[in-house]
Amino acid sequence: MTKPLALIIEDDPTLGEIFSITLESDFETETIKDGPTAITYLAGVVPALVILDLHLPGLSGADILSRIRGDERLSKTRVILATADNQRANLIETQADMVLLKPISPTQLRELARRLKP
Amino acid sequence: MSLQSIFYLSTLTIAAIISGSLAWYTWRNQQTMGAKPFSLLMLSIFYWSVTYILQLASPGIATKIFWEKVTFIAVVTTPVMWLIFALEYAGRKEWMSRPRTPLLFVVPFLTMIVIATNEAHHLFWFNQQFFRVGGLLLEQSDNGLWFWVHAAYSYVLILIGTVLIVRSLLRWPSHYRRQLPWMLLAIATPWLANAITVFKLLPILIDLTPIAFMVTGVGMAYALFRYRLLDLAPIARDVVIEGMHDGMIVLDASNQIVDINSAAQNILNLSGEQDPIGKRLGEVFTSRPALIQHYQTVTEARDEIALGEGENQRWYELTLSPLRDQQKNPVGRVILVRDMTDRKRAEEQLRQLSRAVESSPTSIVITNADGKIQYVNPKFTEVTGYTAEEILGGNPNILKTDLTPAETHRQLWETISSGREWRGEFCNRKKNGEIYWELASISPIEDAAGNITHYVAVKEDITERKRTEALLQESELRFRQIVENASDLIYRTDANGRITYANQPVLRVLGYSGEAEVLGKHYLDLTTPDSRMKLKHTYTRQLLKQTKNTYHEFPTIAADGREVWFGQNVQLITEGDKFIGFQAIARDITAIKQAQEALRIAYDQAMEASRAKSQLIAKVSHELRTPLGGILGYAELLQTNAFGSLQPRQEKAVGEILQSAEYLNEMVRELLDEAQIQGNTSILKARAFSPATLLQQATSAMEILAQGKGLEYSAFLDPNLPQELYGDDHRILQILINLIGNAIKFTKQGSICVNLSCADSDHWSMQVKDTGIGIPSEAQSSIFEPFQQASNAITRENPGIGLGLSITKQLVVLMGGRIKLESEVGVGSTFDILLPIVKRPPGS
Repeated sequence: MTKPLALIIEDDPTLGEIFSITLESDFETETIKDGPTAITYLAGVVPALVILDLHLPGLSGADILSRIRGDERLSKTRVILATADNQRANLIETQADMVLLKPISPTQLRELARRLKP
Repeated sequence: MSLQSIFYLSTLTIAAIISGSLAWYTWRNQQTMGAKPFSLLMLSIFYWSVTYILQLASPGIATKIFWEKVTFIAVVTTPVMWLIFALEYAGRKEWMSRPRTPLLFVVPFLTMIVIATNEAHHLFWFNQQFFRVGGLLLEQSDNGLWFWVHAAYSYVLILIGTVLIVRSLLRWPSHYRRQLPWMLLAIATPWLANAITVFKLLPILIDLTPIAFMVTGVGMAYALFRYRLLDLAPIARDVVIEGMHDGMIVLDASNQIVDINSAAQNILNLSGEQDPIGKRLGEVFTSRPALIQHYQTVTEARDEIALGEGENQRWYELTLSPLRDQQKNPVGRVILVRDMTDRKRAEEQLRQLSRAVESSPTSIVITNADGKIQYVNPKFTEVTGYTAEEILGGNPNILKTDLTPAETHRQLWETISSGREWRGEFCNRKKNGEIYWELASISPIEDAAGNITHYVAVKEDITERKRTEALLQESELRFRQIVENASDLIYRTDANGRITYANQPVLRVLGYSGEAEVLGKHYLDLTTPDSRMKLKHTYTRQLLKQTKNTYHEFPTIAADGREVWFGQNVQLITEGDKFIGFQAIARDITAIKQAQEALRIAYDQAMEASRAKSQLIAKVSHELRTPLGGILGYAELLQTNAFGSLQPRQEKAVGEILQSAEYLNEMVRELLDEAQIQGNTSILKARAFSPATLLQQATSAMEILAQGKGLEYSAFLDPNLPQELYGDDHRILQILINLIGNAIKFTKQGSICVNLSCADSDHWSMQVKDTGIGIPSEAQSSIFEPFQQASNAITRENPGIGLGLSITKQLVVLMGGRIKLESEVGVGSTFDILLPIVKRPPGS
């Protein structure tokens, strides 16, 4: 059985790496550093899970989230928001399945991701 | 010529002169009743005398006969004259109507014809004998038939005349009666003499008649000059009567007009054609037969009648008085007709004026020149209580009180006694002692010569008005006192916006030294140019909507140009329905405005600073958390053997790294939270949220961690909790997670229980119960303070700098709730947060 795809949209390489290592046991992971690329990527792929960092250069995480949620194909995709800013998170948490405040515990993340796995 | 003849001629001459003079004199004064016929009588006697002289002095018989006949003209007419005179004198002029008078002359006329033709028939004289005596030619004859006819006729007339005169003599008052005997004597003498001659009673050849005439003449003259037979008074009286404006009509007992003056003729509109004398009044005055009828038998009356129609109608006062003789028998009536139209009109006018004065709503008092009251109208009685009887003759001063200044009275007298009108106010006292005020107008009344005869005072009761004025003055004064002493700024404008009043504080605040500097200025002059339009609109709106009271704030310009802010209440001032101005009560709010401005600036600055700070914190937060995330992440991955299994020493090392990193993380978080709260940058957001969702979120975040530590995790939701609560759910979640986090941190084994329930009707609670190490009682209060932890040992084991609970408490308090702790060392702790149930506000 192939592992489901988890898309990690995170501009910080360290964190991106951590997320990737955390999830690799359960998912196929793909890390993208910026918004536009992520959007392009999502156009062709339907991941099971998206880990989205709100603080992205260029297109903001919020916009990406809107786009994801606006896309029919991605309706089944789970989104976990990762952000250091709890206030920003407030605004859009209804669109995400989960909000995690940085710093994020990998253990917590793995557990959550497993739960959200289809 | 003999002595006898000279004597004879002389006497005749004298007689002639006298009778001639009398004739002329009385003819001149013929107005007197009987004067005309008397004059004619005297004339005939004069004629008789003259012709008799000529007769006697005739040279020849033929001449004598001629003159004799000529004389007889007088002889035959004299009796008729006598009768006529007697009739007139006796007031029987009516006998002498047109047809009758000539009749009387018929016999004399015939007699003259007989005499003239005597030679032919000798019916008058016969056996005439002539002889000369002492130069005079005398004659003697027998009397013929006609002579006796003539004589009889003559004597009858004379007799009648004499009788009439005697009768009327007897009826006349004594004054006139005295005339008559002389007259009778005077007249009788010639007839006696004539009778002697005619009847040849004495043996005298010459005719004594002329001598008798002398007596007559003398007698007449005597009567005339002694008794003023025909004197001036009657003439004067006549002049008066004719000159009178009043009409006078004298009627005799049979209502025939005996005398009527020209005024009466005008009044009765009698034309000048016929002489009314002798006619019945009804015959000449035909327009009012009913009137004549009415007064037919009335002898005494005093009435008013109207003659004429419409425009020409005039009123006359009719006075009837009886005329009586000595025996009080009525002999006639005199009617006086006086034109009283003007008087009547004046009376009517007077009546109208009188009525006006009587019913006037103002008091009217009339005094004479000395100030004594002669008349008061009913209103005066009504006002003062004094009746007319009580006050007539008195002085208006009895009404005086001391409240009228003495100056007023003095000025009053001065003004009116110099002929001018005076107006002024008095304070007077009524009869019952009550005080009242009146406005009086007093004028003098002058007679034709310009002397003051009366004073008229017209007075209006102004007590009520005075009282109202006094009250108004008083309230005005009180108002002024209040307003002047008020610390508020009070000012008024008129309907055009010009300032009519400004109290002291206004002047002080605006820097004016006197009210005069401000009065008359338009309110817009005192405001800054920018705010004028707006202010004008505000007032206009208030006026249009008739809003009684409005409040607004606007900047004014002080005298020195400073801007002074007024916060004022404005009211409309109305007098009845009419808008007469604005009244404003204001406060100098410049300081407040400045403070507000400063506050606004400070607020803006604070907001700016806070925004900057938020941004900074966000940035710092991000900058700090990101590397931390890296450290923690990798450390944890290492620990979970993601990079291969670790040797115990490596494991321990990673554990140390993780511990420190977590400590650091905690510090960062709490520091940032504290910074946010302290900086007031974290404003509680309120929105609707579901407690169920809240619990679920907390659970999903923390359950794993608990289970990861081997702890049991349970969460409960009270079904009584409202489905929806209103508040800052994000913060509440933060708090809950914080508590749960602490519980997990300080519990080595056992369970964590989270319970959301309904505490009472107004509050709900979040409870986190753990079976951890517990908190000793002495530390239980201090743990809510920042940078505190229960004990160092536990801290070392469970790093956390203890900001969390302090922040939690602050947030809870900020939300209007409270946090409670129950804990026992070795047993566990229960944190209970009570929050108010806030319903979603309407419209949010």
